[in-house]
Amino acid sequence: MRKQLRFTGVGGQGVLLAGEILARAYVRAGKYGVQVGTYTSQVRGGPTKVDIILDDEPILYPYAVDGEIDFMLSVADKSYQLFKEGVKEGGIIVYEPNLVYPSDDDKARWKMFPIEVITIAKEKVGNVITQSVVALAIATRMNNLDKELVYETMINTVPPKAVEVNKKAFELGYQEADEVLAKYSS
Amino acid sequence: MPREVVSTGNQLAAKAAIDAGCKFFGGYPITPSSEIAHEMSRLLPKVGGVFIQMEDEIAGISVALGASMSGVKSMTNTSGPGISLKAEQIGLAFMAETPLVITNVMRGGPSTGLPTRPAQQDILQAQAPTHGDYQSITLCPGSLDECYTETVRAFNLAERFMTPVFVLLDETLGHMVGKAVLPDIEEVEANIVNRRVYEGDPATYEPYNVPQDEPAILNPFFKGYRYHITGLHHGPTGFPTEDAKLSQELIDRLFNKILAHKDEIESYEEFMLDDADIMVIAYGSVSLAAKEAIRQLREEGIKVGLFRPITLWPSPEEKIDELCNKFDKILVAEMNKGQYFKEIQRASGKKANDFETLFKANGRPISPAEFKAKIKEMV
Repeated sequence: MRKQLRFTGVGGQGVLLAGEILARAYVRAGKYGVQVGTYTSQVRGGPTKVDIILDDEPILYPYAVDGEIDFMLSVADKSYQLFKEGVKEGGIIVYEPNLVYPSDDDKARWKMFPIEVITIAKEKVGNVITQSVVALAIATRMNNLDKELVYETMINTVPPKAVEVNKKAFELGYQEADEVLAKYSS
Repeated sequence: MPREVVSTGNQLAAKAAIDAGCKFFGGYPITPSSEIAHEMSRLLPKVGGVFIQMEDEIAGISVALGASMSGVKSMTNTSGPGISLKAEQIGLAFMAETPLVITNVMRGGPSTGLPTRPAQQDILQAQAPTHGDYQSITLCPGSLDECYTETVRAFNLAERFMTPVFVLLDETLGHMVGKAVLPDIEEVEANIVNRRVYEGDPATYEPYNVPQDEPAILNPFFKGYRYHITGLHHGPTGFPTEDAKLSQELIDRLFNKILAHKDEIESYEEFMLDDADIMVIAYGSVSLAAKEAIRQLREEGIKVGLFRPITLWPSPEEKIDELCNKFDKILVAEMNKGQYFKEIQRASGKKANDFETLFKANGRPISPAEFKAKIKEMV
């Protein structure tokens, strides 16, 4: 079963790492995972997307197919507006409500979940750099991916001195996604 | 045991350089190739090698050539704009017959172009990166696995033919993260090629006095064997000459040493061509989209296959000729305005309007959907 995920933000937010961890997790499990980023030559502030494809079968073309994307997480309005059309009808979009402003039409087309990804990283975890792992945990929950597998891969991928803070980021992100799902499905 | 890794194409190219015996890197960072330099700076000290980031692209290739002249397997790395800057020293490498691996992770051009986006606009540049007459060897990986294996092959070819060898990656392959399966390290090491060394009397050593289809035998400097290196036309000991016969023979030999051994250099892939009605020709990361499209089209009963040159220069011209004259329906796809298409026409003797084309030069990859739409028009 192929899953196509897209993380979007602006250059400098560090969204590449989450995608790499997901791809690594799938390969660890004997499956296939590919991540490829698209960014601009602006050092900071340019719209950035990271496509992740996860599959039981080998993946050739590494980019997600517009119109077939199952899940998108966005932490910047500029890139949200630019890339939202790639998400399939009824697909899941998680957005940072302080930075992304979806229209009512958008809310009718996709399953939209507001999660304060950056606020969680900055205030609850205490380090804004961990937003990538907060996003990773949210993607894991929202796509019903193997939590233990992703968690273990994350621990093996981040720098040793950053393991503890990222463990916290993962747990908080996962918990938040759980709560939001419960709230919106009731 | 084959080795399974999760990596980017750029990291794999660096890993391959180390495994192939590279001990020196000189270069200057440029997007989208810089990770090759980053990785070399991490790996080279571990194997007793030397990494130098120089003040610019020209200095980067200059020190790499110097290292190679002293017998060390050497590498420089860049993107198209960097090749433009290195052009003069690339010419020296061709002329003096200094082995060097040059990785070029292509981005759009001309000039500074589209730094962060994929392109295949340096195909003709790799064929003729500098002035004068010479034959380029250019390899073009089409997968993460090949970012490794083709870089290893580049080092072996550089040593065998005493010439610069280009490895053309593109931004997609260079930056994508995925699984790669690499050959057993013992297999790689068993197939390593080292340049020939003259072991006779130093007094009679004539490094450029070799058969007309073989490379010069250049001993490492500082080991007791004297010779001269110059960008001028030169005679048996490397000293400049204007002798008409020697000049002609030198340039003839720069051609012959490559062209007489094409069988050692040529490499290509035929993918699902046996029963195909339509042939796609693509290389590099574009071939990934082509294969994806072919897989999907075959599920719909449309018989398509792919021809993928891996060695771009010298081109597999006989194979191109054979296949292009076997298939009536051919689609050529490139992330440029048709740079290799010119070679396909030349090799096959067919005209431009005998082919369908899919060319894109806006820094965006060609997608499987674009392939499918184009191929369906051809059915």
